[in-house]
Amino acid sequence: MFGAGAMTNSIEEIRDSELMFVIGSNTTEAHPIIAMEMKRARQRGAKLIVADPRKIWLADMADLHLQLKPGTDVWLLSAMANVIIAEGLHDREFIEANTDGFDAMAEKVADYTPEKAEEVTGVPADDIRIAARLYATTKHAGIYYTLGITEHTHGTDNVYCLANLVLMTGHLGVRSAGMNPLRGQNNVQGANDAGATPIFYPGYQSVTDSKVREKFENAWGVPLSPDNGLNLNVMMKEMAVGNLKAVYVMGEDIVISEPNVTKVEEGLNRCEFVVCQEIFHNETTRFADVILPGACFAEKDGVFTNSDRRVQRVRKSVNPPGEAREDWKILCDVARSAGYPMPEYEDAGEVFSEYASLTPKIAGISHERLEESISGLQWPCPDETHPGTPTLHIDGPMIGRAPFQAVDYRPSAELPDNDYPLVLSTGRTLYHYNSATQTRRDAGPVAKQRNNFIEMHRSDARKLELKHGENVRVMSRRGEVEAEVWVSPRMRPGCIWMPMHFSESRANLLTNDAGDQVTGTGEYKVCAVRVEKMSNSKTVG
Amino acid sequence: MNYPNQKRVETFSIEINGQSCRAISGETVVDVARREGIEIPTLCHDTRLEPAGACRVCLVEVEGQRRLQPGCAWKVQPDMKVTTESTRIEKHRTILYSMYMSDHQLDESGLPVETGNGNQLRELCKTIDPLPLEPVNAPRAGRPEDVNPYIEFNPELCILCARCTRYCDEVEAVNAITLSNRGGETTIATAGNRGLLDTTCELCGGCIATCPTGALIEKKAPTNLVTLETEVTRSTCNFCGVGCQLDLHVHNDRVVKVTSPEPGETVNDGNLCVKGRFAYDFIHHEDRITTPLIRGADGELRPASWEEALEATANGLMAVKARHGADSLGFISSSRCTGEENYLMQKLSRAVFGTNNIHQCAAT
Repeated sequence: MFGAGAMTNSIEEIRDSELMFVIGSNTTEAHPIIAMEMKRARQRGAKLIVADPRKIWLADMADLHLQLKPGTDVWLLSAMANVIIAEGLHDREFIEANTDGFDAMAEKVADYTPEKAEEVTGVPADDIRIAARLYATTKHAGIYYTLGITEHTHGTDNVYCLANLVLMTGHLGVRSAGMNPLRGQNNVQGANDAGATPIFYPGYQSVTDSKVREKFENAWGVPLSPDNGLNLNVMMKEMAVGNLKAVYVMGEDIVISEPNVTKVEEGLNRCEFVVCQEIFHNETTRFADVILPGACFAEKDGVFTNSDRRVQRVRKSVNPPGEAREDWKILCDVARSAGYPMPEYEDAGEVFSEYASLTPKIAGISHERLEESISGLQWPCPDETHPGTPTLHIDGPMIGRAPFQAVDYRPSAELPDNDYPLVLSTGRTLYHYNSATQTRRDAGPVAKQRNNFIEMHRSDARKLELKHGENVRVMSRRGEVEAEVWVSPRMRPGCIWMPMHFSESRANLLTNDAGDQVTGTGEYKVCAVRVEKMSNSKTVG
Repeated sequence: MNYPNQKRVETFSIEINGQSCRAISGETVVDVARREGIEIPTLCHDTRLEPAGACRVCLVEVEGQRRLQPGCAWKVQPDMKVTTESTRIEKHRTILYSMYMSDHQLDESGLPVETGNGNQLRELCKTIDPLPLEPVNAPRAGRPEDVNPYIEFNPELCILCARCTRYCDEVEAVNAITLSNRGGETTIATAGNRGLLDTTCELCGGCIATCPTGALIEKKAPTNLVTLETEVTRSTCNFCGVGCQLDLHVHNDRVVKVTSPEPGETVNDGNLCVKGRFAYDFIHHEDRITTPLIRGADGELRPASWEEALEATANGLMAVKARHGADSLGFISSSRCTGEENYLMQKLSRAVFGTNNIHQCAAT
């Protein structure tokens, strides 16, 4: 956004915040240890503003909870921008020195008044004003967000709106401030950094840039494709219509984790060849022609890169079971079997050296340096003497001048109607992890959450004559699942919530695979569903 | 890094045991002493918590103060003079430790019992010649009925320093456990003495990690952990994106316990969540895939050698490429795997099979 796709600031800075604006992040459940830093800041007197359709745990300790309707973030954030500009709280000096496009954006948000925003979002206009004023007038004010912002067909627009707020208030390059996407998985950041993305080589170097391509062609000794590849969302759709004919899936259960999984299953059935590299059998391995047994984190060496760009070592402590092998060795072997002369890497450190030698952002990092550093190294780290970078954009945006974006609100792809009157959002809980092949094999998470459930407001439960704990059928245009009803004061009326962890009751049979235009991220946070009492619908399905 | 908005701090010198030490306003005597390598024993002290001064183990002499003062809570002042070792302090420690021992489960050697979670009181008691005090009658209630799978409380080893309850309040902020009752019956309890699963407890296990005497232990770690030979490997947690550092305790090629590095060292500052600390059973689970598998003509998976499986993989992909072109292949990498593996997966996709169709679940 400002030159790097990552948290602008560091996790340890959170404790010194004066204000935290947490939006679309159920931090206490999805990032418990970051939430501890937020709680610590709160106890030290920091203000906390939470924007979330659910009354999540953090909302309980917040100064202000903006309980917006799912999918209306652009309205909420544009209205905050509207207030900041209308009341002259923007940082003119910063805008002048570091940004472009302020006027066009200001003109756009002029239409997004707090009163109109209240109609769309359900958040009282005065709360929007208070939030905007607090955010704009506090120096160490950081924004923290995650999939509640990005898992929409307008996810990129949501992110643009947040970036606008950061830029207009100059909350960039300041300690305990900035714009901080909290990454979902242990190594999401590292996977993107390493080039597991259809448009970038490692280190966000474009595959369509001929100079860059030449560098990688020389390093790898083969000609490379000049065309952008397909993102995951599009791959799944191409697979379903028969254009993508073979997939190699490593360490991911796409039949649980992708939206509208019925289509994904159709696609896998049409595939001519499917390879899975996995530690457990899962829903996806049912479709595999070949399964290669990989190693879990405790069984191999390497690095993970966390949310705040911190590259840290993973160290082998036990051997993989049976004939299972370290995944990096398997990948090298597959390449060799296909006739490619993959170098004979001695260890994961040598793989990292090759990766770093082609990637300026991490060129100064090596396994040797990480051995000496207890808390890892944060990129950018361009050379061996560089100490790493805890806070980005200290000397202004890395891309030079950061652009404001004039954003129009677009409704979510599927809105509730008479047939499917409720809005379903999906997400994760504290106790399980993604497809839960790991956590459902441990007693604690199972004791806490054994079966799938939906959270529902009591008024909706009353209408449907549902009691807490009873089983219901949840149906969307794409599929249906059974789950327990948890009547919960956390919900907005008209909205329900379901975790994605349960393979026998997959939330992603319901979700909409409409993707964001830029990133392809699926709309996991908004789709229309109907809930039925089990006794009334025994013949269905 | 020089932040223009960094808070101003005042530095000055104090004297500890006659030695001049640099101190920063707001620090305590223990903070300064630890930095200077001067040992002051503590039990109830944890850098993540507000000082409580509860255990009285850290009492020191401060010039101008009539009484001994708790070093963990006493804030430094310019030119302050502190003594940490003296006959008076020694006498205080002998009485104090002896009193703790009279209210603590002892082993055959007469020292506080050591559990799998260590016992710092035991180490302190080794430094004194204990007074012959009568055992105290302190019927503290435990929670023997608590069926939670992870956390066990043994009231016989509790010294009521309240590190666990303060951690649960100040750091985890769920207030699942609290000091309860009065006098000899004071104990660590939950509301209504319920099992932890029926409280606000999130099973983070931070209470175990902070307990100095091993009154709180992990149910799933081997009970003989203290005598078991284990190797400890530092690694990074494989669940969410925080990047918590872990110490994996390994015995016989099995992970038997996971702990956090000390507070102040790493991004997680000594903390872990329920998944990071406890959800490691999957590593050695019997459901792990332990051999390559190939689907036969009958549709069933059968075990195969690595040579066969690698050849089948390469041939399968190359055949599809030959029939339909490189862009008919898709490579789905993993945000759960290492950076090196993601690098190799995209290299496999691009350099070996010639397509940029490479992604993972992380379009955030």
